[in-house]
Amino acid sequence: MTKRSLWRLTVTLLICGMCAYFFIPFAKVRLGLDLQGGVHFELEVQGNEALEADLRDTRDRLQDRLREKGCPDAVLKVDQNQLRAEGIPEDQRPTVEKLLQTFYGYDTTFSPTGFVLTQKAAYQKSLKDDANKRALQIIENRINQFGVAEPEITATGAEGNRIVVELPGVGDTERERIKGLLTTPGRLEQRMVAKQDPTQGRGFPTREKALEFFKGQLPNGTELLPDPLTERGANGEVLPQVQGQPEKIKGWVLVEEKVYVDGADITRADPSVDSQTDQPQINYTLNKKGADDFATLSGIAADEQRLIAIVLDRKIVSTLSCREKILGGSVRITGHFTKADTEDFALKLKSGAMRASMKFLEERAMGPSLGADSIHSGVRAALIGFITIIVFMVFYYKLSGVNAIVALTVNMIVMLGLMGSFHAVITLPGIAGFALTIGMAVDANILIFERIREELGNGKSVAGAIQLGFDKVFWTIVDSHVTQLFAAMLLFIFGTGPVKGFAVTLTVGVCASLFTSIYISRFIYDWILERHPGIKTLSI
Amino acid sequence: MKVFEHLPHIDFMKYKGVALAVSWGLIILCFLWIHPWKGANSHVKLGMQFTGGIDMMVAFKGDVHQDDLRTALYNGGVRDAGVVAYTDKPGTSMFSIKVKARKGQDEKDSSAQIKQITDALKHMDAAAASDHRLDLNTESAGVILDSWIKANPMGLPGDETALRMGYEPWVTKVTKAREQFSPMTDYSQLPQDLPPQLRASLVKDYRLGTLSILKNESFSPSISGEWTWKTLQAVFWAMGAILVYVLFRFTLSFSVGGIVALIHDILMALGLFCFFGFEFSVPVVASFLILMGYSMADTIVVFDRIRENSHKPEYRRVDITKLVNDSINQTLSRTILTSLSVLFVAFCLFAWGGHALRDLSFPIFVGVITGTYSSIFIASPVVVYWDHWFGGAEKIKQHAHSH
Repeated sequence: MTKRSLWRLTVTLLICGMCAYFFIPFAKVRLGLDLQGGVHFELEVQGNEALEADLRDTRDRLQDRLREKGCPDAVLKVDQNQLRAEGIPEDQRPTVEKLLQTFYGYDTTFSPTGFVLTQKAAYQKSLKDDANKRALQIIENRINQFGVAEPEITATGAEGNRIVVELPGVGDTERERIKGLLTTPGRLEQRMVAKQDPTQGRGFPTREKALEFFKGQLPNGTELLPDPLTERGANGEVLPQVQGQPEKIKGWVLVEEKVYVDGADITRADPSVDSQTDQPQINYTLNKKGADDFATLSGIAADEQRLIAIVLDRKIVSTLSCREKILGGSVRITGHFTKADTEDFALKLKSGAMRASMKFLEERAMGPSLGADSIHSGVRAALIGFITIIVFMVFYYKLSGVNAIVALTVNMIVMLGLMGSFHAVITLPGIAGFALTIGMAVDANILIFERIREELGNGKSVAGAIQLGFDKVFWTIVDSHVTQLFAAMLLFIFGTGPVKGFAVTLTVGVCASLFTSIYISRFIYDWILERHPGIKTLSI
Repeated sequence: MKVFEHLPHIDFMKYKGVALAVSWGLIILCFLWIHPWKGANSHVKLGMQFTGGIDMMVAFKGDVHQDDLRTALYNGGVRDAGVVAYTDKPGTSMFSIKVKARKGQDEKDSSAQIKQITDALKHMDAAAASDHRLDLNTESAGVILDSWIKANPMGLPGDETALRMGYEPWVTKVTKAREQFSPMTDYSQLPQDLPPQLRASLVKDYRLGTLSILKNESFSPSISGEWTWKTLQAVFWAMGAILVYVLFRFTLSFSVGGIVALIHDILMALGLFCFFGFEFSVPVVASFLILMGYSMADTIVVFDRIRENSHKPEYRRVDITKLVNDSINQTLSRTILTSLSVLFVAFCLFAWGGHALRDLSFPIFVGVITGTYSSIFIASPVVVYWDHWFGGAEKIKQHAHSH
C-alpha cells in the first residue's frame, strides 16, 4: 500500500471511528415528542400585564410618599396606560417635582391640579424583557418542582416573549394541571376588604349590582374582585374545578387597592391538612418585612373589625377576620381547596410570581402509541427503500455497486455520528429525511459511474476513465449538493420542532454524501488500481 | 447492463413548444380546478397549524363507523368537525377529527371544545358509562405510579422516595405492554412477571377502555397567520438563494431556465397535491423545499453537460439546438437513473411509511418525476429560446472557459 492510500485509509477510519464514538451509546440521540409521546406548549408572555402591574405598584408607592411629603389629599388613579394624580395644590409643586425625580422611567406632564405619569418606551421594553426572563425562570422552577423528567424549556420569538415547553411522557391528567401552573402568574396579595363594603366580605352577586349600589362610581382607592365558587361533594369535600368550563363566581367583593404584603415576602409555603376538620390547607411563612407589614394589616383589621382579603391573581382566595394583631408572619388558609389545589398553590407561592400571565398559542399532545406506530412504519419504509437501492446498485453496477454501498454505509455512519455529536432530536420527518438523503447520496455515485462508463466507451484506459470520471463530475456534484444544501438550511432557519429534525438530517446528509461519494469511492478505486496496476476491465 | 445500449439520438428540442404548452396548460387547468383565490371554498386543504383549530387523532377498539362518530360529535355540540377515517391497523378504527377555530376565538373556547369532543367520544365508549374507574389504556404512567405509592400494594418498606424507586420499573413495564398492544384488550396482556399484588390492584382500580386519544393538538388562530408567512418566506428565500448561486456558477440564461423549471415543478406538485386532496402541514411545506433542492440538482446535471460541450471543438460552429439536444442525450441515462433511485425511496415512504409520511412524500414523489421532465423539456428549451432571442451562446462559451 502506498503512503497516499495509507493516509486516506487512516483518515477514513478516523472519521468513522469518531462518528461511531459520538453515536454510541444510542442514548445521545433523543427521540422527538412525535415519536416518544408527550406535550408541547407554546406560550406567549402577556407583556402588557407587566406594564399594568408596574403602574399599580408605582401608584401604591407614590401614594405613600405623597402622604409623607404633605399632600394628604392627592388622589392617584390608574387610567389605561397612565397614572393620573389630582388634588395637588399649586404651592406643593416643587416638592412633588423633586419627589417624582426618584420615579425614573416615567414621563411627567403637569396640569393645574395635578399631573400625569406615562411610562417611557425604553422603560416599557425593560419591563417586558424582565417579565419574559422571569416567566422563563419561574416556569422552569415550577416544572422542575412538579417533577417531569427531561423537560425542555426554551425562549423563542423575535421579541423573546415566546416560551416553548416540551415535556416528554406527560399524559392527559397531568397536562391540565401543568397548564394551570404555566398560565397563572401566582401573584399573591394581602389586602383589606374596603370599609365601604356593605356585604361584610360576602360580596355582591354581580358586578352590575355592585356598581348600581355605588351609583356607578366606586369609592376612591377601591376595586371589585371576583370570589370564585367552590363546588362541594356529598361529604362536604371540595370538588376539583371542571376543566374547560367558565369559572362560576360566588360574589364580587370590594377591596382596597393598596397591597399591604405581597408574595415576594413569602419564605416558605407548604400544603398540609387541618388536623381537626381534615380539610386540605396551605401554610406559609413571611420574612421579617412581610411579617411586620402583616402585623400592621392585622392590627388595623382587629381594631376596626374589618376583614383581610387574600388575593391570588386578582381573585379572592379567602377572607380572614382577626381578633388581634398577628405577629410572627405565619399564615394559614383553609377550606376552599382540593389536595391538588393546595399542592399547586404552594408550588406557585414557592416559585415566585410572574409579572404577567401567559397565553397559549399552540398545544400539542401526542400519545406514546402513535409514536411507536410511526417509528415502526417509518423505519420499515426507510429500510425497504435502502434495500431496494442496494439491490439495484449491485445488479446494475456489479462490483462498482459494492463500492457505492461501502460509500453509502460510511455515509450513514457519518450522518449518525454528526447527529449524535450535536444531540440532534430524531423526529418522524427526520426518519423520512434520512431515507431521502440515502436516495440522493447514491445519485452522486450514479453520476460518477455513468461518467466512467462513458469514458470507457470512448476508449479510455481503466485508470484514465476513473480519473476523468471523478474530475469531470466533481463540479456537477458540488453544484447539485449546494442547491440542496440551500433548501435544507432554510428549512433549519424557518422550521421548528419536527421540521427542524428533518432539516438537520438533510443538511448533515448532504455534507456526508459530498464526502463519501468524492473521497471514499475514489479511494476504493485507487486502491484497486494500486493492487492490480495493469487492470484491463472494470466491473461497472 | 445499460439503460441504452447505444447513445440515444432523440430530438427533444423539436417538442419544446408542445411540451411547454402541454405542461403549463396542465398546471393552469389544475389551478382552475383548485381555484385558490376563492379562499375557504377552494380545494386547498390547510392543516390546523395554518388556520388555527383543533386536530385530534383517536382510535377505537373494534369497528366504529365514521357516521356514528359524526353523529356523536354533533349531539355533543361539536357542529363543524371534519372526520376522516383511517384504516391502518386491523381491529382498530382510527379517526382524525378537525375543528377549525372561529374568528376571535381564544384558548378558553378551544379547551371547552376539546372537552366537548372528549366527552362525546367517551359517550361512545359503552363500558365507560357504567364503569367509573380510570382507563388503564389512557392514564399516564405518573397517575399509575402515584396510585401505587399511595396504596403501596406490595407493602414495601421506606418513605415515598423508596416506594417511587420500587414501583417505577413496574410502571414502565405496564406502559411498554400497553404500547405493544395499543390498546390492551385483556388484563392477561399485562406483563407476565408483574407481581400478583400489582396485577390485582390494576384489575381492581382500572378498566380497559376501548378509546385512546393518540394525538390532541390545538393551535391558536393568532399564531396561524405567522406560520403561513414564515412558510412563504422560506420558499422565496430558498428560490432566491438558488437563483443567485446558479447565476454565479453559470450564466443568466441558465439561471432563468433553472428557475422557470423550478417554478414549474413546484406548481405542478402543488396542483397535484391539492387535486388528490392532501392536506398542507408544516412538514409538507418542508418537503416542498426539498423538492426545490432536488429539482435544481437534476437540472444542473444537464446544464453542466451543455456547458462542457459548448467549448468542445466539434460544437464550436453548431446551432444551440443541437448542442442542447446532444447534451441531453448524453446525460439521459444518468438523469433517469438518479431520478429512479430517489423515486424508489419516495415511493417506499409513500406506500409503507404510514399516513403521516404519506402527505410528506407525495410532493417529493411528484417532484422527482416532474423534476426530471422539466430539466429536459422546460429548463433546456428556455435556454434555447433565450439564445434565439438574446443570443447568449457566446456568453455560455466564454463563461465555460473560466472553469
